[in-house]
Amino acid sequence: MKKKLVGLLLCAAMVGTTVLAGCGGDSGSSDDSSTTEDSTATDDAEEESSDDSAEGGANYDGVELTYWSMWTNAEPQGKVIQEAVDAFQEQTGAKVTIEWKGRDIKNILSSSLEAEENIDLFEDDYNRIANNYKDYVADLTEMADAAGYADQSFAVFNDQAKEWAGFLPCVTEQPQVGGIFYNQDLFEEAGITETPATWDEFLDACKALKDKDISPMALDSTYAPFFFGYHLSRYIGQDATAELATSGGWSDNEKVAQAADDMIEFVKAGYLADGAPDEFPASQNKMGLTEDVAMVVCANYVTSEVNNNTGVELNWGLFNYPSVEGGADSSSAYAGANSIAVTKYSENQQAAFDLALFITSGEYDQKMADTAGQIPADPANTAPASQNGTVEVLNATTAPLTWNMGLNANADLLSQIQEKVVKLFEGSYSTGADFAADMDSLY
Amino acid sequence: MKRKKSFIIAFILPCLLSLLIMYLYPVIRTVLMSFFGIESVTASMSEWTFNGLDNYIKIFGSPTFQRAMTNMLLIWLVGGIIVLCFALLFAVILTSGIRFKKFFRAAIYLPNIISAVALATMWIQYIYNQDYGLLNKLLEAVGLEGKNWLGTDMKFWAMLFAFTFGAVGYYMLIFISGIERIPEDLYEAATIDGANKVKQFTSITMPLLRSIFKTNITFWSVNCITFFIWSKMFAPVSTEASTIVPVVYLYDTVFGTTGNVQRDAGAGAAIGVVLAVFVGIIYFIMNKLIKDDDLEF
Repeated sequence: MKKKLVGLLLCAAMVGTTVLAGCGGDSGSSDDSSTTEDSTATDDAEEESSDDSAEGGANYDGVELTYWSMWTNAEPQGKVIQEAVDAFQEQTGAKVTIEWKGRDIKNILSSSLEAEENIDLFEDDYNRIANNYKDYVADLTEMADAAGYADQSFAVFNDQAKEWAGFLPCVTEQPQVGGIFYNQDLFEEAGITETPATWDEFLDACKALKDKDISPMALDSTYAPFFFGYHLSRYIGQDATAELATSGGWSDNEKVAQAADDMIEFVKAGYLADGAPDEFPASQNKMGLTEDVAMVVCANYVTSEVNNNTGVELNWGLFNYPSVEGGADSSSAYAGANSIAVTKYSENQQAAFDLALFITSGEYDQKMADTAGQIPADPANTAPASQNGTVEVLNATTAPLTWNMGLNANADLLSQIQEKVVKLFEGSYSTGADFAADMDSLY
Repeated sequence: MKRKKSFIIAFILPCLLSLLIMYLYPVIRTVLMSFFGIESVTASMSEWTFNGLDNYIKIFGSPTFQRAMTNMLLIWLVGGIIVLCFALLFAVILTSGIRFKKFFRAAIYLPNIISAVALATMWIQYIYNQDYGLLNKLLEAVGLEGKNWLGTDMKFWAMLFAFTFGAVGYYMLIFISGIERIPEDLYEAATIDGANKVKQFTSITMPLLRSIFKTNITFWSVNCITFFIWSKMFAPVSTEASTIVPVVYLYDTVFGTTGNVQRDAGAGAAIGVVLAVFVGIIYFIMNKLIKDDDLEF
């Protein structure tokens, strides 16, 4: 009888352990579930701190926040966030638990938010926040207005996020901008005094560089669609590019062939660096390793990547992608951001918002920009040297272009389109019309 | 007897419950999901919309899924022939009484204990790199022009070769265990009867390795169907058509990709079901084609 009892107890323990293990990590959900629709607690916190600034001056004694970060604590961004959180805790009395999730956060966020896990604020791409998670994040509009957030951020990201989500769903943490990043010293060596604004001026600059034995353009195959996407969108605009990617008809639009012909001529003229299109990040690294490659079409993080990978501090500059004759749009640039959102079910939305603002403005935003070599989220701060020109391009952008400027609109064909664009730069097509016809073969 | 029964039930219950909760429930849910339109993989059932067979029609009509399946089949067929042939060859050599057997066995198996991420990085950076990679350096040394081994035309084969390099050791060990259980007496008798080494291999080793072949082919097939990390390493920033495989396609379909936030968990579930059916078919074919050993030794 005793044996039977012991056996049953052991079995019960095993079952209990199994079930608990299965439910692990979900501890916050039951607590939080009662607060999903309940804004009372939140309102109390908001009222309590509505007159406090985002500088961490509020009293949040007893408030506990859980912060899911897309960085790791070994990365420069993670280190600055840890510093900022420590300072915030000291100033406000709040207790903040950071969970370093890394880039895979995008794969677990959706499920975690649906399960109402214990998360008060989290980081991710603002595109995903505003589109995929909009039902689970708090509307920050009122808190942002009260804190004067508009003066501490780039309007382009707030406007875009509002357009997608219908409200302000996040606070910009790491702005990104795309264009042509170049080595100013090599431009000077080639006698280029003004950055090119049109495709013809750009080709003249490439020729001037080539004449000085400088390779004009680095290109890794990963970024080939970014280059061509920019070029095509200058001819027909992002929306038309997205429409082509979605439904086909590339051959019907003669500007596609024209844009592809430009690229074919560009490659034939020898303006790509040796080996390009290369495997990421081999070609862009040549800008630092050989210091005789002048430009790369990418987003602003390329400057830090090249500097860090090669140990060379290049004299970086940025100019917007040139316009083309008879084109549709010439002013917009790619702009994206990693941002911080506050969960809809958080009991401490105001404290979470204040923490987000504490990290993304003022002292710690400047520290983040300097340490991680990125554009400051707060326009009042100063961009580091590696980000020369980025703020100007960002300020001039009102309608930001998306990644690959519409070429990524068809999720299903994305990788196939990318392959054909790489082939374009590999010299696989003799004419732009061949390229357009091959694109149409996908539909 | 009754007492024993209750004990059996009590001990089986935790395992059974775990199996039901952690395996059967996800399997049933995935199969159900494959017939519905669902955006997020964990969306509640109230948000599901019935799609009938649309998810299956969508994935089978997708050129990218077709490309992923073609890549997977090529990995299975070409990679399988290379890996199993080399594994068998090395296993036969290592069981033939050569010196330093333990060293060679460990050396060939070594890539299996190194992370696939490290292995792939090594191949990409040190072997295939256009400027300082081993392959182009060798070509240069003999006066030939280097090649872009990771260009769109060569990338798949570069990935496949790197993958097979690391996979041989695992299958070799299984073959070795199979060969070592064949009694020496059989070979001695064959030698006395005048059979040479080749004859012994084809008439003794191969027939007695039948069940080992079945095991290895099944393992290899499952390995190919779940192929993921090498594809991700050879296309680290965004998925590329030349290296895409069904699991990567599933991953992108469910979680979205760089610059595109569209998600389709229903189609992702359909891909998962198709892959699971593939595993079942392979298991069935293997059982039909290769019968278990009917010889006792």
